[in-house]
Amino acid sequence: MHNLGFALEEAWQVLIASLLLGAGLPTLFALGVRSLAYGAGAVGDRPARPLGTVIGWLCFAVVLLGVALGITYIVASGLGKTLSFEHIFPTIADK
Amino acid sequence: MHTAPPPVALQTRAVPSREEVTSRVQKGVNSVQETWSSWPRTSLPDGSGRGLNGWETAAEQFRVRIRWAAVPRDDRLVTETTVILVLVIVTALGFDFTNGFHDTANAMATSIATRALRPKVAVLLSGVLNLVGAFLSVEVALTVTNAVVKIQNSNGTPKQELLGNGGFDLLLIVLAGLVGGIVWNLLTWLLGLPSSSSHALFGGLVGATIAGLGWSGVNWNGDGDGLDGLVGKVLLPAVMSPVIAGIVAATGTWLIYRVTVGVAQRFTDNGFRWGQIGSASLVSLAHGTNDAQKTMGVITLALIAAGDWTDTGNIPFWVKASCALAIALGTYLGGWRIIRTVGKGLVEIAPPQGMAAESGSAAVILVSSHLGFALSTTHVATGSILGTGVGKRGALVRWAVAGRMVLAWLTTLPAAAVVGAVMWWLAHVIGGLAGALVVFVVLVLLAGYMYLRSRRQPVDHTNVNEDWAGLARR
Repeated sequence: MHNLGFALEEAWQVLIASLLLGAGLPTLFALGVRSLAYGAGAVGDRPARPLGTVIGWLCFAVVLLGVALGITYIVASGLGKTLSFEHIFPTIADK
Repeated sequence: MHTAPPPVALQTRAVPSREEVTSRVQKGVNSVQETWSSWPRTSLPDGSGRGLNGWETAAEQFRVRIRWAAVPRDDRLVTETTVILVLVIVTALGFDFTNGFHDTANAMATSIATRALRPKVAVLLSGVLNLVGAFLSVEVALTVTNAVVKIQNSNGTPKQELLGNGGFDLLLIVLAGLVGGIVWNLLTWLLGLPSSSSHALFGGLVGATIAGLGWSGVNWNGDGDGLDGLVGKVLLPAVMSPVIAGIVAATGTWLIYRVTVGVAQRFTDNGFRWGQIGSASLVSLAHGTNDAQKTMGVITLALIAAGDWTDTGNIPFWVKASCALAIALGTYLGGWRIIRTVGKGLVEIAPPQGMAAESGSAAVILVSSHLGFALSTTHVATGSILGTGVGKRGALVRWAVAGRMVLAWLTTLPAAAVVGAVMWWLAHVIGGLAGALVVFVVLVLLAGYMYLRSRRQPVDHTNVNEDWAGLARR
């Protein structure tokens, strides 16, 4: 059952990376939504705070970077390439 | 006097008759230019059951057929191989189409259920993104069947021993396999169950291969070098994908609800609406690149087997274009029955859950394919939606519906295999081109029957969002 071993090993990596991207980014998005609401004074009975608006859009910007990473991966794999995380910053590399 | 040529459908003999060849030789159109190896379109004169058709000996027939090969292609008779090739291409595009509408739900069911998008807009968006995704597939692997059956070499060319009959043997296996996949896709659609289209395709191919080549024709476990074979590439990922996706989506849902406690609903609803649309679009795009590729690979394999294509590094443009259009049209048509089950049947979804589910799906699909452990989109998407039900306190999860769905997952591969095997056997018993035609007709009849059956209780964009209890059981 060599396949089971390989699969469990892979599944573990998939789970960690997916949790980071698939649960982490939506949480960041939720933080952005909360900050925007905070900035507009819509959380509790507080006055409007412009800082909240700025932080909110920063959160959305990070989420958009994550989406851009996803689209880059799809396009790269269509061209027979893949993303390399060797230099931490993702680069397009040959498969 | 101009006389009309005989109808194409009648010109299906493998070997031209003596009279026809004699007349062409007299007109001076024949010379020996092509060699034995460039004569793959028809069966070889090895007594492979096609008869001598007026020729004295097989050797004489062979000599004339070498000359016949020099006749411009358009002038040649439509051979058996050509007819079955056309059947395979039409059937493959049909499968691609069912693949599209079967999987619309994976990306768009949540956005439709939470009314983030109007139903028609959602399927249009998904269809367009599938089209774009399919055209992005510049490098298409021709080795798509290698994961489960042994009908191709590692470079994508068909196995030599399956080409003896002008490619007929290989084409018949592929045809029967595709029919198995389509029939099962349509049946699960009729029942409103989200089953995996890749499982249906692989199941059909496995069944047809077992019938045609025996148990040893199936790549059960690979060679131990890595994840491979039916077990490693299909069965294990199928079991693990809903679990992984479920955990990711449940975590996401739980965190989102924690973070947004006390935030006014006008902020959350609008924000998560956009988050949902974005993540669902990513799933659609990834689906277009992944799934359309499979059909492109199968059609190109058939073209190589029939001798109409030789380049293993590229696929013909018309193949790419027609596959892209077929999957996009299927997606646009929308498998409303399945969308309803996934969007309304499993979990009552709120916008934050919709976003958690689709982001989880997108992340798991892309990460797993990046790590070479490709998971089934359907299993991931439905696992995510169940996960969002688990992750939100007090959410309603209909476990009975989930149970029915899991049953469909378990049965898809073996059931499609049985259909594929029966189709191969049917074609084999009847024999030759007639067998392949009968299989095709059976497919058309079954598809028509299931379509008519679906009209008794139609589900479309007008009633896809009705209360689950309202429409009761189908």
